[in-house]
Amino acid sequence: MGRLVFSSVSRKFNNFQALLDVNFEVENGEFVCLLGPSGCGKTTILRLAAGLVAPDEGIISLDGKKIDGVNKECGFVFQEYALFPWRTVKENIEFGPQVKGMTKTECESISKHYIDLVGLNGFENHYPNELSGGMKQRVGIARAYANNPKLLLMDEPFGALDAQTRNLMQGELLRIWETEHISVLFVTHSVDEAVYLGDRVIVMSARPGKVKDIFDVKLTRPRIRTGPEANIIRDSVLKSLSTQIKLASHEYI
Amino acid sequence: MKFETGKRGLLINILSLIVFTLVWQILVILARNDIFNIPFIRLRDIPTPVETWYALAGSMFTRIYGPSFTYGIINHVYASLVRVIEGGIIAFIIGVPVGIGVGYSKFLGNLFNPIIEIVRNMPPMAWIPLSVFIFVSGGSIFIVFIGVVFPIILNTIQGVKSTDTRLIDAAKTLGASESMIVKKVVIPSALPSIMTGLRIGLGVGWMAIVAAEMVIKSPVGLGYFIWNMGDLGRYSEMVAGMIVIGVIGYIMNISILLLQRRYINWVD
Amino acid sequence: MKNLMKILFLIIIAIFVAGCLESEKTPQVSEPINLVKMSGQEMVQRLGTGEIAGFIMWEPYPAIAVTKGYGKNLIFSGNIWTDHPCCVVAYDDDWYKKTNNSDEILKRMALVQLKSVEYINNAKQSDSPDHEQLINYTMQFGGMTDPVAANLSLADVEFVYNTNVAGTATFIQKIQDFGIFDTKKWNMSGYNNAQDYADSLVTNNYVDWAVNNKDENISRIALEEPVNIRYAYLVNDIHELPFYIGWQKGYYRDLGINIVIAEGAPFQNGAFEMQQGFKGNTVDVGSLGIPPVIIHRINSNDFSNNDTKVGVIAGMNNEGSVIVVANNITSLKDLQGQTVGFPGQGTIQHVLFLMEADKEGLKVSY
Ligand SMILES: Nc1ncnc2c1ncn2[C@@H]1O[C@H](COP(=O)(O)OP(=O)(O)OP(=O)(O)O)[C@@H](O)[C@H]1O
Ligand SMILES: [Mg+2]
Repeated sequence: MGRLVFSSVSRKFNNFQALLDVNFEVENGEFVCLLGPSGCGKTTILRLAAGLVAPDEGIISLDGKKIDGVNKECGFVFQEYALFPWRTVKENIEFGPQVKGMTKTECESISKHYIDLVGLNGFENHYPNELSGGMKQRVGIARAYANNPKLLLMDEPFGALDAQTRNLMQGELLRIWETEHISVLFVTHSVDEAVYLGDRVIVMSARPGKVKDIFDVKLTRPRIRTGPEANIIRDSVLKSLSTQIKLASHEYI
Repeated sequence: MKFETGKRGLLINILSLIVFTLVWQILVILARNDIFNIPFIRLRDIPTPVETWYALAGSMFTRIYGPSFTYGIINHVYASLVRVIEGGIIAFIIGVPVGIGVGYSKFLGNLFNPIIEIVRNMPPMAWIPLSVFIFVSGGSIFIVFIGVVFPIILNTIQGVKSTDTRLIDAAKTLGASESMIVKKVVIPSALPSIMTGLRIGLGVGWMAIVAAEMVIKSPVGLGYFIWNMGDLGRYSEMVAGMIVIGVIGYIMNISILLLQRRYINWVD
Repeated sequence: MKNLMKILFLIIIAIFVAGCLESEKTPQVSEPINLVKMSGQEMVQRLGTGEIAGFIMWEPYPAIAVTKGYGKNLIFSGNIWTDHPCCVVAYDDDWYKKTNNSDEILKRMALVQLKSVEYINNAKQSDSPDHEQLINYTMQFGGMTDPVAANLSLADVEFVYNTNVAGTATFIQKIQDFGIFDTKKWNMSGYNNAQDYADSLVTNNYVDWAVNNKDENISRIALEEPVNIRYAYLVNDIHELPFYIGWQKGYYRDLGINIVIAEGAPFQNGAFEMQQGFKGNTVDVGSLGIPPVIIHRINSNDFSNNDTKVGVIAGMNNEGSVIVVANNITSLKDLQGQTVGFPGQGTIQHVLFLMEADKEGLKVSY
């Protein structure tokens, strides 16, 4: 459960070809990282998968079902958290269950479970503006999980965090993911992060956005960030990416 | 608006009031003794702060002279406040849904925007002559309504339009329907703007009520009071009434501001 | 911050509670009649729509309301107080002092007053040859289109040129009793009692001169050098018809007085005329109700330079105001708890209404 397939997906914005003939899949329970130069359409891919935008051409499907309209079986985690500022931690996590019409006790048991899981005990009644960035993103992850999704879509979720918190949160994410195993499509700008987290790393090229290379990261977890195998993979990903970045930046010069 | 808190801020506040009162007293006394006068202004006819204070104290409560009850300032404040609150409530009930509809739906926006844009540019005072004739009673409440409703509508529209689209996206992926999004995302996120609209609106409404009461006649109301005192040449009472108007307006503004801070404390 | 909010909240609650208690308290004594200030036009209109139960106003508004069938005359002011003084002619003391021949001018103004009043009283008779002309003047001055209403409005006004010192003193006493004077200003005025004040306010000399010279040849007594007089009057007030007659028929001009309508005239009410006209020195002579004169010469006066000091030289009329009520109302008592229009505080109608209510033991609130 949770198999996401993009086949020949293209999308234009006005006259700008953002994505052209994108093909890839996220296998059931797989953790896939998406890398690429800025503006190559990573966010657009996540929004397509969530059904927030529709493709011009091609088909996107989740577990064989074509995505048409908002995809309610996915959880979206945003870079800038996008928490409801007027809701407490607990209320943010309960949003999904609430709009699905669950009873108060059901909502509470769900939020309690995920507050435990992401380690926010004692902060249930805090408002987002009273939390640190790392804590906010824990809420973001818990809120997405609370909706019981088959697929987690994460758009540079740790991009705004400092390096230390970022490493810590990567470990936390893996811990959570290992407890409740679902497919993840994870957008990042960091090759280190991609190689540390992903089962596979997809590198995209820009203008128009296309899938360029796909790397398998067949390393057992917990991984050692500076292990020799990791270094080799990182090198090849970097190489693939840097040509892309050069190409992309060339157009601006 | 930021207040300087603590003792220093309070001291400056009190000092400024004292200085203002002193300047007022001195100017009037200088004018009365023909020492100094501002050209074209009959400064000497302005009551001094002391005279105003006595007039305020003397006319605070209802007084009885022979067959006549002369209502006290308390009654006038009460009558005006009730009108402003009634007009404000009606404006809130109508303004918020209209603002949400116009702000959220393109169709409703195109439908109502021209009307709102034209009518909102007619100041509440411009409606007074008309309401004298079309309303059997409650004309002044209508004037307040006009004053309050547009700030509420405009601020609600602005609040709705500035709702973070990522919050709407988040709600969508969490399974919220369109009406749920309006109820659980758009309205709460517009709430600070709506409250600001209410606060600005009540300020306008309070000014409008006083003007309306000068024309749309009723036995009580602060506008009516200062107009009557002017008619009788009781300038001290008139100025006392003016000061009460200012103080009440200030209290109203501050109260809503504090309520806003207390209950909408999630705004950064 | 929290404490400040609590305090503010308490203040508002306190005002509300006090307001409730106060408004509760008032009707318990006895249901008062609510006097509400409005213009004459509004009174007629609102009586027609039933928004007010009645009004007290100068002519021609009672006549207009009655002719339209909106209501009926309940009490003529002559029944409240027989021959009560009403509008008068007054001069500005500042003008008086700086004009050399002001006494001579005022004598002649009193004479115009006498002639106009005599003209009106003759022409009022329906068989008089001047009757039609008078009705035309009345309609012009009163802003009326209906000759029936014009006739009616003349019926209960008693045009006079005499000043009435005793009546003025009575008014002063009433105004004092009804709490209208600013006590501090009254003490500054130096008058001991109502009679004292009335004596200083009203001068009979000019009318006396007019009576003695009314049959003189006009050209013999006309001023040698014509003078400009800035004159103020009240809008559409039939009581001041003698001024209009004197102006239109050229009585002033014949005596060497050139009437210039003062800035701001005609005024909405006597209070404006006193505060803007006489106090502001834009009016030399004007006509207005005696109560505004009485009130503002005290309340609006700056006693260091007496800028609002005026003197009364002649009458205009006695009586001439009416309490008009809706057709279903039969006595003043029926007006309890109802709204009644009046032209504002400190007007003659205000004082007359209070007098009548006092007589009947009724309460009035405003
Ligand atoms: N709604 C839209 N309207 C017009 N253009 C859009 C829209 N959404 C995206 N684009 C354009 O499509 C391209 C891809 O955008 P997208 O946000 O997917 O890039 P990205 O890879 O996520 O970039 P970044 O790394 O900076 O987040 C960009 O050039 C962007 O300007
Ligand atoms: Mg992006």
